[in-house]
Amino acid sequence: MFDEKDMILEAKHVTRRFPASGGRELTACQDINLKFYRGKTLGLIGESGCGKSTFMRFLVRLDVPTEGEILFKGKDLTKLKGEELRQTRQYIQMVFQDPSGSFNPKMKIRDIICEPLLNFGRIKPSEKDVVARKFLEAVELPGDFADRYPHNMSGGQRQRIAIARAIALEPELIIMDEATCALDVSVQKTIIELVCRLQKEKKIAIGFIAHDLGLIQAFAHQIAVMYLGTIVEILPGEDVDKAQHPYTKALLSAVFDMNMDFTKKIESIDSEIPSPLDVPSGCPFQTRCDHCMERCRQERPALTEIKPGHEVACHIFGREE
Amino acid sequence: MLEIKNVTISYQDRPTVKDFSMSLKEKEIASLVGESGSGKTTVIRAVLGLLAGGGRVTEGDILFEGTSLLKNTPDQWRRLRGTDISMIFQDSGAMLNPIRKIGDVFVEYIRTHENMSKGEAWKKGVEMLERMRLPSGDNIMRSYPFQLSGGMRQRVGIAMAMTFQPKLLLADEPTSALDVTTQAQIVRQMMELRDEYGTSIIIVTHNLGVAAYMSDWIIVMKDGRISDSGDRDAILNGNHNDYTRKLLEAVPSLGGERYV
Ligand SMILES: Nc1ncnc2c1ncn2[C@@H]1O[C@H](COP(=O)(O)OP(=O)(O)O)[C@@H](O)[C@H]1O
Ligand SMILES: Nc1ncnc2c1ncn2[C@@H]1O[C@H](COP(=O)(O)OP(=O)(O)O)[C@@H](O)[C@H]1O
Ligand SMILES: [Mg+2]
Ligand SMILES: [Mg+2]
Repeated sequence: MFDEKDMILEAKHVTRRFPASGGRELTACQDINLKFYRGKTLGLIGESGCGKSTFMRFLVRLDVPTEGEILFKGKDLTKLKGEELRQTRQYIQMVFQDPSGSFNPKMKIRDIICEPLLNFGRIKPSEKDVVARKFLEAVELPGDFADRYPHNMSGGQRQRIAIARAIALEPELIIMDEATCALDVSVQKTIIELVCRLQKEKKIAIGFIAHDLGLIQAFAHQIAVMYLGTIVEILPGEDVDKAQHPYTKALLSAVFDMNMDFTKKIESIDSEIPSPLDVPSGCPFQTRCDHCMERCRQERPALTEIKPGHEVACHIFGREE
Repeated sequence: MLEIKNVTISYQDRPTVKDFSMSLKEKEIASLVGESGSGKTTVIRAVLGLLAGGGRVTEGDILFEGTSLLKNTPDQWRRLRGTDISMIFQDSGAMLNPIRKIGDVFVEYIRTHENMSKGEAWKKGVEMLERMRLPSGDNIMRSYPFQLSGGMRQRVGIAMAMTFQPKLLLADEPTSALDVTTQAQIVRQMMELRDEYGTSIIIVTHNLGVAAYMSDWIIVMKDGRISDSGDRDAILNGNHNDYTRKLLEAVPSLGGERYV
């Protein structure tokens, strides 16, 4: 599917458990295996609380997994310390849903964009003005925005600033956590177009978290579907309509689309997602699945390749032992 | 049943919504779409006389079943709200009192509108919750809002709003905070209300897919004015209005345009 020599980051058997009240444990991520490739976007999709942010936070070392390793160009990120960690960090950047939280409101845009570059000694203070203008242009904003403060901007403009700051360090991987979901659709579209253009120019790998399948399939090269802390399906971005896992299919049928058949009856799953404190043994989706068999209650299905680039964790497709 | 005639709505004497008109018949669903700040919330709050921040209707009229709502006394509003006209918000959880159990709030709400014993009101509450396909209504009545998921709280909000079978339901982004599968549940429930009780609905949403699926009429707003309106077909397939076309093109669509 992808060229293995383009792989820049690999998560192997990553699990994260949080302590919860009453001495219990909450499993936010369970045995996750994913690969990120140069110049390609991995879209991570799933409903709120399924563990998407928890996973992506490991990649920028905001957290470390309980088990498993994260190999970035051969080095295990979970074990890096001190100067080596600091140096590695510049190559993996993150953009959040609301960037204002990560901007110092008293700083001008010029300083917001240049701060990381100064920290890593990549530029001299005297170069700030030229550099800020260059990156503002790269995200299609006027150069004089360098003198503004973040609160004098719209949500879409602030998101462009966050992207400008992230690309300034020339990272190899950018993680975007629901980075467009607070924006109006027309603004979202311009941001996605910008990200796709920058990705092509600079061969950046992108990890994009979203809960909207329609959005993800518009630009992801591979899509990973997460449910209750596990990856239940991985498929090529252009093949969403060929999804096989019952959960992915349920997500698809819940999308309201302008091209849909408006006389179609809504088939919604009425039951609630189980709490991550009580993940059932066996298949995590068993309590809401129409195809649940005895085996699904006993044994957790593993991701199985059904076609190149398409893996499904479901006993309907699993090989018999 | 509802007629909004050339209405201008102002906050602190600054006109925000200008020359807005629409009408709605029984059993019809209309949606208000448009970018944030275009005035959608202002319009539906005006219908319910609940404008925040000193907002006022400064021109035009709003008629509900032939009578102007603008001259309502506080007492008339009390009788109308929650019975003939009710509203659901983006997060009904925020409307529920966090330190009181759902059941206490629900029973009190029922008893302010109808002369009933506490026991009867409790039973009615449970019945409404179960109609919203919430499992074990009794259990939910005994819960605090924080013990429920966002989708469950939203269904509690709808259950309360539907208790007195309102003729008109106003819904302000009722699914925007919800996941897609929960959104589908809520959309289905609103459609069932229309089919079973004949409720007319105005829904504000930024999800054009939801608007298209639910609505007989779609009104596109821009900068406080109606930029385009018509039945679903005219809006989706008409190619007369540039702004509408731009808005529609920006919506990612399954099997639609890909950027890579
Ligand atoms: N620091 C933490 N301590 C305890 N539980 C957490 C922590 N971070 C996340 N969780 C829990 O882990 C689960 C997954 O959360 P998250 O990764 O934020 O989900 P998503 O991003 O998919 O919405 C949730 O149940 C959440 O409450
Ligand atoms: N309480 C208020 N006081 C003053 N201005 C307000 C108030 N509420 C909304 N506005 C203004 O009215 C305009 C329309 O807002 P709103 O109706 O909330 O739009 P929408 O719901 O379409 O996002 C915005 O410019 C907003 O700033
Ligand atoms: Mg998250
Ligand atoms: Mg609004």
